[in-house]
Amino acid sequence: MNEKEKKFYVQPVARVGIRTALAGMAFAFNRFERFRKYLRNADGWNNFSVGIKTQDGSVAATIEFKDGKATTRAGAENVTSQMILQDESVMMALVSLPPNELNNLLLKNKLLIKGNYSYISYFNFLMSVLLKNKQVKDLKAQREKMKLPTLDSEGKGQIKNRQMTFVKADSRDPGVKHLEDQNLSAYGGLVDFPRLKRFVDIHHRQKPAVCIERPKLMTRWYRENGFENDKQGKPWVAELRQAEAFKYLMENRKPIIRKDDLIAGTSGSKEISVLLYPDGAGTILWGELFIMQDRPLNPYDIDPDDAWALNNEIFPYYFKRNFREWIRDVYDEPLYQEVDERFALFFLWKNVALSHTILDYPKLLRLGADGIIEEIKAELDKTSEQNFEKRNTLKAMILTYEGIVAYALNLSKQALLDMEAESDPKRKEELKKLADICARVPKEPCQSLDDAVNAVWIHWVAVHMESTNAGFSLGRMDQWLQPYFESDIEKLKTKEEKEEYIRHAIELVGCFYMRCTDHLPTIPDIGNYLFGGSSSDQAITLGGVTPEGEDGVNDMTYIFLKATEILSIRDPNVNARYSEKNTEAYLKRLCEVNINTAGTPSIHNDEAVMQSLERFNYPPEHLRDWAATGCVEPTISGKHMGHTNCMMFNMVAALEMALFNGYHPLMRWHLGPETGQAESFENFEQFFDAFSVQIKFMADLACDYNNKLGEAHSVLRPTPMMSALMYDCIKKGKDATKGGALYNTSGIAAIGLADITDSLLIIKQFVYEENLYTLREICEAIKSDYKGHDLMRARMMKSVKLFGSNDHQALEMANKVATLIHQTFSLKENFRGGPYTVGFWSMSNHVAFGTLTGALPSGRLAGKPFTPGLTPQAHASHNLLDNIKDVSGLDVKNIDNNIAFNVKVVPSSKDRHEDVIKNLYAYSKAYCDLGGMQMQFNVLSSKTMRTAMENPDDYRDLLVRISGYNAYFVTLNRDMQMELIERAEYGL
Amino acid sequence: MGSGKHPLILDLKGNSLDDGPGIRTVVFVKGCPLSCTWCHNPESKRTGPQLAFAAKDCIGCGLCADACPERALDLMSSERVDRDLCKLCFDCVNLCPTGALSRMGVSMDLDKIVETVLEDKVFYSTSGGGLTLSGGEVTLFPKFAGEILQKVKAQGIHTLIETCGYFVWEPFEKHMLPYIDTIYYDLKIFDSDLHKLHCGADNKLILQNFERLHALATKMGFELLARTPLIPGITDTPENLEQIAGFLQGLGVKCAQLLPYNPTWLEKSRGLGLVPDDYFLDEQKWQSPEKIKDCENIFKNFGIEPL
Repeated sequence: MNEKEKKFYVQPVARVGIRTALAGMAFAFNRFERFRKYLRNADGWNNFSVGIKTQDGSVAATIEFKDGKATTRAGAENVTSQMILQDESVMMALVSLPPNELNNLLLKNKLLIKGNYSYISYFNFLMSVLLKNKQVKDLKAQREKMKLPTLDSEGKGQIKNRQMTFVKADSRDPGVKHLEDQNLSAYGGLVDFPRLKRFVDIHHRQKPAVCIERPKLMTRWYRENGFENDKQGKPWVAELRQAEAFKYLMENRKPIIRKDDLIAGTSGSKEISVLLYPDGAGTILWGELFIMQDRPLNPYDIDPDDAWALNNEIFPYYFKRNFREWIRDVYDEPLYQEVDERFALFFLWKNVALSHTILDYPKLLRLGADGIIEEIKAELDKTSEQNFEKRNTLKAMILTYEGIVAYALNLSKQALLDMEAESDPKRKEELKKLADICARVPKEPCQSLDDAVNAVWIHWVAVHMESTNAGFSLGRMDQWLQPYFESDIEKLKTKEEKEEYIRHAIELVGCFYMRCTDHLPTIPDIGNYLFGGSSSDQAITLGGVTPEGEDGVNDMTYIFLKATEILSIRDPNVNARYSEKNTEAYLKRLCEVNINTAGTPSIHNDEAVMQSLERFNYPPEHLRDWAATGCVEPTISGKHMGHTNCMMFNMVAALEMALFNGYHPLMRWHLGPETGQAESFENFEQFFDAFSVQIKFMADLACDYNNKLGEAHSVLRPTPMMSALMYDCIKKGKDATKGGALYNTSGIAAIGLADITDSLLIIKQFVYEENLYTLREICEAIKSDYKGHDLMRARMMKSVKLFGSNDHQALEMANKVATLIHQTFSLKENFRGGPYTVGFWSMSNHVAFGTLTGALPSGRLAGKPFTPGLTPQAHASHNLLDNIKDVSGLDVKNIDNNIAFNVKVVPSSKDRHEDVIKNLYAYSKAYCDLGGMQMQFNVLSSKTMRTAMENPDDYRDLLVRISGYNAYFVTLNRDMQMELIERAEYGL
Repeated sequence: MGSGKHPLILDLKGNSLDDGPGIRTVVFVKGCPLSCTWCHNPESKRTGPQLAFAAKDCIGCGLCADACPERALDLMSSERVDRDLCKLCFDCVNLCPTGALSRMGVSMDLDKIVETVLEDKVFYSTSGGGLTLSGGEVTLFPKFAGEILQKVKAQGIHTLIETCGYFVWEPFEKHMLPYIDTIYYDLKIFDSDLHKLHCGADNKLILQNFERLHALATKMGFELLARTPLIPGITDTPENLEQIAGFLQGLGVKCAQLLPYNPTWLEKSRGLGLVPDDYFLDEQKWQSPEKIKDCENIFKNFGIEPL
């Protein structure tokens, strides 16, 4: 639309239109009961007001809902929530665009929200009550255009699986005791495990559905027993309230054993459940209740009765009872919150969850819930009657474990019922076994591998009932399950029996993986653009050294790898530790699994990761028990509340503000400190200082918010169940959200290292060394997105040695930036009294933050993705070894929250499988020998990805590594697909 | 051309997986005694430097044309460079912002080459790779090549040369052979007249050198691998392949390599202002798997295993 059209068409229509539109909305809700019923909640009317205005105030109107009646008025002040629009054209978009494009306006800062977010979600829902038909039609039309895989509610049909080649291992690792060929090549592929094949087919075809079981039961309990105050009007002890509600949930949730499964229990009531946490950030899905089935990317089914219950009983209870709104109320919508809600500088995961940790599963398997309760009671006996806080915390812990046991016993009963209804004798036998297992574990200590896997799963369900499913991780499962495997197999005599058992073990682990796919996090449509394709990132860690420092690779390591290989699924997110104590055969096997699956497991250099954690002085036996959390981040298993993904921090925003004297272009906001106009810097160091000041400013805001959110969690949702299985919480009698764990850190993901480094190198060389351009000229070129500056941009892309080109100065610059970030954050303390850690990986936020960032001095154009993690730019070098040398040359001391180094390799069709393994091994081994920390592969070509974009149904299992996590290529938004395609590609 | 002279270096290519076992660094030198009509590295034929132009990288900024003292650059021409006018001063290359204009062939200090090769030692050791000397024809510079080979091999790194076999024996044997682990040896055309026609020289010396090397290989502990590039209608004819296979069989050779045709050289040739024979304009396709299989079968019939 041109200026003239805007003036003559948009402005008048918007001015008159918004009042009219709101009046129309009010009329509809006042006049028709079929609409009006949505204004009511189980306890009464939803009373609130939404003001809508343009940034310059040229248009302003308010709609108010009070006691079931809607009215409108001029002006947009004194309201519950406010929508502020960049200009009047956005006003038009507001009523005409489909809801997912509205999200885009929000993301791009064309639409701002002030005040309570839940009410905005609810307001969006009310709009969709009226506009449902149009919105659904728009979304369907978009979906048609987008070429996406088809899903159905029954999950029927089969998918074609990837071709795999298996080779025998040429040697046996010292820790492998019972596998003749540790690669398990003779056990075949997915087709040789029909039970798993069925589960995988369902996984790729089934449309996920929203499950309201948890919020429904929890809310029922809260309504009955109070949230802030108990029935007697006394303030609740948060730990006890959460424990009671959790216990009620566990006792009353439906015990389900999936058809043909070897593991009992489910995360939700649906085949694939989207779990809702309105006590976290779940109300964000409110606006999509009627349309989520039809959104183009990752649509969800929802039962109409459930949608009704959510709107009527559940969501209204949490208008203010969630982390974000608690802070808005208690701290009066502080600046850091406002910044967070505009996405461009940082994105705090603590708004959603305080998760990303690993519990002490060996303790659960060893002691059982009974043993844990005994330990808590013993602590309680030692605790003085006056120490209310500790006593209440301990009591809360006991309640939660009683809840878990109750759920297990319900599963046992259900298994017996299912058994009676079952006609197949073989399945009857399996159900009988499950009934027996669930009657004993996790209540009692485990005795067999089946016991242990079921116990971990039931506890895993409990973890996700207590707290949001975002990045909770399983830890060193191969180490912890090995004793049960050994004790089982040692009882067997013949070779056939042992082989049969090994096949069973692979199947059992496979079933466990598939169980982990039974739930998904709540992703509002805006999330499909921010962190698309991510599941809850349940990391499993394999290999490495034992706590004593010996080669830890064992039989179960290879059984997990086999399951990883044949299933080729995105989550659990498998991470492999590779130590110099481990064998060549093991690393080769890791490479082979990557080749067969296209992108998993990621490989971690054990020594480098441990070296990066030196400053914490963890005792060696603790340090050696580190495991990856969420994506890649190290947590000391069972002793460490590390919330390793508390925030995604966009370092590039600091560079933009340094270039423009504190002004952030996309937000159109003079936010940062005034660090000087472009022409005011006399040398590069002065400019770098300005950048440092902006980084510190951003870090202050982000940490303030993170710490306040930490407090919000301790008030709204302490986690006594989790705390009981985290070392030192029992002894301290302190919840993990309050710092009860032995180790407490918060980990950030710093995004844009390669883009920043390259930009700084170019500025240094062009402006301060060669005097080729002034910084002002570069700023002008950036503002115009390099239009008319082709020559300058060409020089930027070609004449400077960039990070990843095996250049000493480039590496030095990268280390300088990493040091700055690390020093800035390591000085800060979190709410739980621990330090911050810094990592360089990005999930998919290198794409999202990229869209929120203008052109850069690196020559990158506005809106384009940054490089994933700390991966060098594709044009830095054509030689993969240059990339490897620079990335491995980074000082690990600045990287205590790990990295994601992506490498896309393409075997040619004529290469022999063994040769491809050999080459991938050579790269990985050399990278580790050089001191590199983490490496993750995409073993597929851009050509394959392009074909998949055209034929999504045939490629629904095409697995890709984003930056730390895996996803299915066909479920990603287009920007992310293109980012993957454009990554540098190396032959094998 | 002389045994004491340093060649110009065309490229020092790291991370090569195609020029011998494992991950390798390949040193391409400039200059070749043969002139095969299909030469895949046309930029390596001449010993002197050349100016290359890649049209796809050009943004049309015009800096080159303004700077050229000979007025040899024309923005309107698709070839860009008037080769008759160009005096190879390379001023334009230094100014070109995108690298569309580039200089083929730079002189490099021998120690610098060795140093660069050694930088990737860790990759050679994890992959079983090493150094490859290629060209052009590296045996044109036996002292130079020998010194590199000796220095690199002294570090325990695997060394390999790719040669057309057209070299004077004595300096090769003296300076290079003791420091070579593997030789990839081209046997292109067996018939001497045809060889002369297509490669610009007869092949007597080539066959003679091959026989000598074959006789020494086991004793001296180096590996010798014969390779035949499959050029449509020239080297991939049954007659030629049968003759080569027969020759190898007579020596008791058990395996050899066939290299399928790669048409991308045409593009490279044009970028250098060289005009390929009309004959090749019809040969822009890759060979079919069936055709390759047929060629392999000829070798197999003579008891030679194609690699």
